[in-house]
Amino acid sequence: MSSLLDALVTGLVYGGVYALLALGLTLQYGVARILNLAYGDFLIAAAVFATLLYQRYQVSPLVSLALVAPLSFLVHLLVYHLVFVQLERRSGSWRAMEASSILLAFGLSFVVSGAMLAVFGGKLFSYSYLLVPVRILGSVVPANRLLAFVLALVFGGLAYLLLVRTRIGTAIRAIAVDPDGAPLAGIDVRRWAGLTFAFGRVICAAGGVLISMFQTFNVPMGVAFTLKALVVVIMGGAGNAVGALLAGLILGVTESFVARYVSPGLTLAAVYALFVLAVLTMRTGILGKALR
Amino acid sequence: MASLVRTIALPLLLALAALVPFANNDFYVALGVSIAMYAILATAWGTFAGPTKYISLATAAFFGVGAYTVGLFYEKVPMLLLYPLAALIAAVLAVFVGLTTLRIQGMYFTIFTFGLAELIRQLMTWYQRNVSGSVGVYILTDISARRIYWSLLVVLALTLFGSWLLSRSRWGLALLMIGEDELAARHSGVRTTAVKVITLAATSAVMAVVGAIVAPRWTYLDPSIAFNPTLSFMPAVIALLGGMQRFWGPLAGAIPLVILFDQLNARFPTSYTLILGLLFMVIVFVLPDGILGFLPKLQRRHAPAAPAPATAPSTGTLSAPVTPAAPARHASPGVDGTSGPAPVPTPNGATLLEVRGLRKAFGGIVAVDDLSFSIREGEVFGIIGPNGSGKTTVLNVISGVYEPDRGEILFLGRPIAAKAPEEIARLGIARTFQLVRVYPSLTCLDHVIPAALFGGHARTLTEARDHAVQILEELGMGGMLAIPAGQLNFIDQKRLELARALALRPKLLLLDEWLAGLNPSEMVIGMELIESLRGRGMTIVLIEHLMQAVRRLCDRCIVMSFGQKIAEGEPEAVLRDPEVVRVYLGEADDA
Repeated sequence: MSSLLDALVTGLVYGGVYALLALGLTLQYGVARILNLAYGDFLIAAAVFATLLYQRYQVSPLVSLALVAPLSFLVHLLVYHLVFVQLERRSGSWRAMEASSILLAFGLSFVVSGAMLAVFGGKLFSYSYLLVPVRILGSVVPANRLLAFVLALVFGGLAYLLLVRTRIGTAIRAIAVDPDGAPLAGIDVRRWAGLTFAFGRVICAAGGVLISMFQTFNVPMGVAFTLKALVVVIMGGAGNAVGALLAGLILGVTESFVARYVSPGLTLAAVYALFVLAVLTMRTGILGKALR
Repeated sequence: MASLVRTIALPLLLALAALVPFANNDFYVALGVSIAMYAILATAWGTFAGPTKYISLATAAFFGVGAYTVGLFYEKVPMLLLYPLAALIAAVLAVFVGLTTLRIQGMYFTIFTFGLAELIRQLMTWYQRNVSGSVGVYILTDISARRIYWSLLVVLALTLFGSWLLSRSRWGLALLMIGEDELAARHSGVRTTAVKVITLAATSAVMAVVGAIVAPRWTYLDPSIAFNPTLSFMPAVIALLGGMQRFWGPLAGAIPLVILFDQLNARFPTSYTLILGLLFMVIVFVLPDGILGFLPKLQRRHAPAAPAPATAPSTGTLSAPVTPAAPARHASPGVDGTSGPAPVPTPNGATLLEVRGLRKAFGGIVAVDDLSFSIREGEVFGIIGPNGSGKTTVLNVISGVYEPDRGEILFLGRPIAAKAPEEIARLGIARTFQLVRVYPSLTCLDHVIPAALFGGHARTLTEARDHAVQILEELGMGGMLAIPAGQLNFIDQKRLELARALALRPKLLLLDEWLAGLNPSEMVIGMELIESLRGRGMTIVLIEHLMQAVRRLCDRCIVMSFGQKIAEGEPEAVLRDPEVVRVYLGEADDA
């Protein structure tokens, strides 16, 4: 009984972080129109950053979080303008741009993970931070997980409010709905798309730091994180924050149950099963988009 | 001449390559195996991704499946049976992936393939750990590196030949159209899902065969070797560098890149992935049009997005069509390619299309609400109404783009609601689009041929070609056969869409504001064209805003407002209806 509860609570903690990751990814794909296959690798980069700071200089991950956020914002604003905008200029059409941006992001993922592999190899990273037991609902949860979960929800909630309640958020959503129409309303699409791309990455980096607080990870795991974030986006419906939260929680709980009751080696299979279910049950919207 | 060089050069090159092992240098054989292997994988990858622009990132998955088929069964099953077995398993896997994700457009396919190799790697690891006891298998065979190399050369020759055949077949044409505009392809009668899934399965089977051939090279096989992400990555790099769909592309890309990577791997084993990624980014970046730029014989041009008079067509091309189209009306060789004397319009003929109680809502917006009407053979039926009244939705539901929420659509007495667009096109309902949907980089002829071919009536490419030429000539586009559609002016693009629709030999033609955006003189031509079709007995549904055109062309029409029918009858009578005047003409009658 208690192990059931444990699995549930663990699943919810992971699910909260997945939802946050999905929010960042959906922002990048929905607004900047870039399917960022390097997402998980950058996440690992942020996680490694936090781990090293903690291990070498005893810097709290919360401080790392504050460092990582502006840093990744700047880096990715640059990446967007130096790489993707140039690519768009060179591509003849949007369709060509889409295909090459996927390949470019795929290449980028090899560059990022390759750079880290060159330095760290497949080494496992972990550190013990806030390893204090907390009792919730009769289940014992380490405080670090609880903190990660709460922070994930807070960040996600703040990002959501930013999107829904502010003028900037309105502009961003306008671009997501109609990138051709948005300039007619005086919105500088490229500028905001770039800022959104970078902002999506801040969310990703925050997710990476949160994950480093409670999970052992290594460089090759980036692919799996990209995939999970993508699946959550698809399950929740692109651009749907509430859907992303729900889908994240479902994914997290499913994974945790499969790991505990079936086999830890089959978690990715569980992710794929959810993916297939989501795609098969999805009927509307897709063709409508094609008609645009 | 070039093709002669090509036909001689390839066998010659392969024959030369086959001699490599006699140099008695293991290094060259090993390098040859890598080059041949990657050249095949790149060809297979490019055969699907090149024309369709669906990017698969799962080469490693299919390759690994092939390698593992050998690893797990080589002791029990003869080697020669293992190759078809590997191909079969990969094809089944590809069909599953395809049916899950290729039915729908968008990113789902790429995302699914992105993690596929990792998924299978984990499954295989799990299987070996829990079922067979140890991760990894020894493959101890007496198959020499030479034999592997020669086998690969044979497969390479077959793959190149197959891909060459494909690019010249109707199948290849269908793949190209899918990449250009999938929905328009479906309305030309292309069964897009089947074409995509089968092509993916076939190319994946080739990848698996390569894996099966190469597997004995390793002696020891574990999941991280067989499903190495680099195997997904390299073919894409090679195909991009060499030029997809170019005959020599995969070889031209594979030789330098494999040699380069071999050196890199030897000298910088740790930063290998990093360098590979950087190089790949540079290649993607330096190729201005991405993979599109590599499509042979196609010149990319921007489609003129600006609707219309703004595109200021030269009067020369403008007046040209009148002459051929107008006499055609009297001489009547049928613009739809059917010959025979023009039947007198029979607006009182049998019912061709019947719509009953149709409803379609998008979320809370009811676009079409309880709409019923029927269309008789030979009549021109108008659907008019203010913007947003649901006209185009009706047309989209009839042509299969949307599934109705409620109601029936009977075509020739058979229900067609919720059938796929390509099935409806094949039954004989053709359409044009409100905003033209042409494939900018395909020539006019290439637009029309597939419709003739996939519409089901032309049996051979030659027959379809003749038919397409005939239709284009009758529409006054005989001089534009080889011009990419992106270079046409607006009316010619509209005419091209009409030609594509007519090539299906439709029984019913749906024109969605076909006259909109034309300038006054173009309009005259357009209306004459529609009249000439009508004179030949074609049944036409006309969605139109121009009252002038409705009065002149339509036998009957309905008026829609907020998704509902508010009037029906002959145009003159309908347009005098006070309700119609209130919702519509009172605001916008410029006729």
